[in-house]
Amino acid sequence: MRGHGWKWLLCTPALIVLLLAASGPLLIVAVYSFLSPGNMGGVSWEFTLDAWFRVFFRRDIFEPDLVEWNTAHLQVFWRSIWLSLQTTFICAFLGFPTAWFIATRPRHTRTIWLFLITIPFWTNLLIRTFAIQEMIRNNGTINAVLMWTGVIDSPIQMMFTEFAVLLGMAYVFLPLMVLPLYAAMEKMDFSLVEAGYDLYASRLNVLWHVILPQVKPGFIAGSILVFIPAIGAYVTPRILGGGRTMMLGNLIALQFGQGRNWPLGAALALLMLVVVVGALIFYLRVVGRNDEVRRG
Amino acid sequence: MRQEIEITGLNKSFGQGASAFHALSDIDLSIGSGEFFTLLGPSGCGKTTLLRIIAGFEEPSTGVLKVNGKDVTGLGPSKRPINTVFQSYALFPHMSVADNIGFGLKMLGKPKSEIKATVAEMLQLVRMEAMADRLPSEISGGQQQRVALARALAPRPRVLLLDEPLSALDLKLRKEMQSELKRLQSETGITFVFVTHDQEEALTMSDRIAVMSAGEILQLGPPEDIYNAPVNRFVADFIGDTNFLTLRVKGIENGEAVLELPGGKQASARLPNSISPPVGARVTAVIRPEQAEPTAAGQGDMQAVVEAATFFGTDTHLHLLLDDAQGFVLRRQNRPDQPAPAPGAKLGLSFAPGALRVLED
Repeated sequence: MRGHGWKWLLCTPALIVLLLAASGPLLIVAVYSFLSPGNMGGVSWEFTLDAWFRVFFRRDIFEPDLVEWNTAHLQVFWRSIWLSLQTTFICAFLGFPTAWFIATRPRHTRTIWLFLITIPFWTNLLIRTFAIQEMIRNNGTINAVLMWTGVIDSPIQMMFTEFAVLLGMAYVFLPLMVLPLYAAMEKMDFSLVEAGYDLYASRLNVLWHVILPQVKPGFIAGSILVFIPAIGAYVTPRILGGGRTMMLGNLIALQFGQGRNWPLGAALALLMLVVVVGALIFYLRVVGRNDEVRRG
Repeated sequence: MRQEIEITGLNKSFGQGASAFHALSDIDLSIGSGEFFTLLGPSGCGKTTLLRIIAGFEEPSTGVLKVNGKDVTGLGPSKRPINTVFQSYALFPHMSVADNIGFGLKMLGKPKSEIKATVAEMLQLVRMEAMADRLPSEISGGQQQRVALARALAPRPRVLLLDEPLSALDLKLRKEMQSELKRLQSETGITFVFVTHDQEEALTMSDRIAVMSAGEILQLGPPEDIYNAPVNRFVADFIGDTNFLTLRVKGIENGEAVLELPGGKQASARLPNSISPPVGARVTAVIRPEQAEPTAAGQGDMQAVVEAATFFGTDTHLHLLLDDAQGFVLRRQNRPDQPAPAPGAKLGLSFAPGALRVLED
C-alpha cells in the first residue's frame, strides 16, 4: 500500500462542496424552523415550535384556543405528491416506447435520437414553460386551431389547471425517464425477446415477462429522477398552475417572500425532505421485496 | 423416412437493389423426422440465417417452408412447433431455472400441475434437479447450457434448433455435451437441426450434414460420404485435413483415372461421375493425411523428404516434400518402438486402395 496514504486527500474538494453547499444550508434551515419570524423577513433568535405547529395546525383568529388542521398546507402537500406521482407515471408511459424506439435503431442513428432528446435542456426552463403557456392559453395556438377548424366554439380553459401543471412537468421531466430507460434497454440481450417468442409467448407476454423485468432498473432510476424534482417543482406550477394549483415549492417560496415567515418556510422545506426520503425508502423497499419473493 | 422439414426454392437477401446481400440462394432441403441434421460452414455462410428462417425469426425473401407437411412460411416463431437453443443461451435472468424451463408450457396455457411435472422430468433429463431454484447467474456455463436445452425441450417441439450451442464451452465440457446431446436426441426422438462451424463436431454427431458456403449448400450427405467423397475443393479443404496434388492423367480404366505420380509411378484414382478429363490433362487429386502409409525409402508409390514433424500426442504430422517439390502431409500414428523420422530423412509413401480421388474444380 506504499504511496497510497495521501490519496484520501483527493476527496477533500468533494467533501468541502458537500459541507458548504448541502449540509451547511440544511443545518441553517433546520435551526431556522425552530425560531420566530422577524418583522421584515429573516428570523428573530427566539426558540419556538410555532413554525412546526403552523405547518399542520391553524388557530382561529378570533378564538385562539380553537385549533384545527391546516387543510391548506395539507392540500398543497397532497397535491404535490399526487401530481408528482402522475407525472412519474405519464413519463414512464410515454418514455418507455420512446426509449424502445431509440434502443432498436441501428447503432449509428441512436446517437442522433439521444441528441434530439437532450436538446430541450439547452433552452432555459422559463422560456420553455412560457412556450407551453403560448400553446395552451385561452387565445393560444391549440385553442385557436380548434376554434378555426370548428371543433369547439369557445376556448377550453387549460391554463391554471392541474392539467397544465401535469403537461408542463411531464414535458420537462420526460428526458429524465427516457435516458435511464434507454440505458437499461441498450444493455438488454435482445435474444431474450426472440427466446420469448420462440417459447410461444404473445407480444403482451413478451413485454410483461421478458422486457419489463429486464428494464426494471431503468424504471427505478427514471422514477426517482422524475419524482424527486417534480415534488419540489417551482417554475412550472408557478407559471402554468397559478395560485389555484400551488405546489410545495411555491408554498415554501411564498413563506420566504411575501409571507415573511422564514421559520414556517424552513419547516415546510424540511418536511418535504422527509417526505421525499420516506417515499424513496418505501419505493426501494417495495421494489426490493419483489426481488426477494421471486427468488423464494 | 417421413419428412419433418421441407424447404423449397428458398432465397434470402438483406437490403435492397445493388447493395442487397444474398444470404441464401435457392436452398432445397428435406430433413427427416427424428434426424440429427447439421448445417456446417464457416461464419457468414448463411447457416445461422437458414436456422433463423426455420425458427421464424427471419422471413425468407422467396420460397416455402413446411413443417410436418404444413406450410409455416408466414407464421411467427410463437406459432411454430419448433424451439431454439440460442448460442448465448438467452436464459431469462430474472427467472429461476425451473421457471425458465416451465416458461414455454406456461405460455401455452398448460395447467400448473402439468408444468410442474414436466419441469421435474426435464430437470431430471438434463441432470439439474439440484439447481431448480437457482438463478441463471448462479450456475456455470455448462449448466446454463443444460437449462437452455431443457427449456427448449419442455414444450415437446417437433423440431429442436441448436445455434452453435457448444461454442462457448471449453473442450472437455464440449465433448461431454456432444454425447449428452446425442443421448437427449435418441431419448426424445425429436428432430435436431444443429448449426456449427466445427467440422469435427459435425462429423461425430450428425446423421446427415449440409456443408454450406456463400449461401449455398455445397454437399449434403452422411458424415462418411462428406469426409470420404467431398464434391469439390471447398468441401475437401473445410472438412478434415487434405493433401491437394496436381497430377497428369495417363488414361482412364474402368471408370477410374490413371494418374502419373511425382517420381514417375502410376496410381489409379476414383473419378466423380460428372467429369471425364482427357488424357494428358492436369487434374487436382486429393488424399487424406492418414490414408497414406510411410514405407522404407525407395519403396512405395512416391518418394519424399521429411521437412518438419509436428507431435500431436496420438500421432505425428510429417510435412513432406515430394520429388516434384509439391508438399504433402502424412499423419503417422505414434508408437513407442518406432520413433518418428527426423527432418531430412528420406522415406517412401504408399496409398491405400481407393484413397486417391480426383476433384471437380
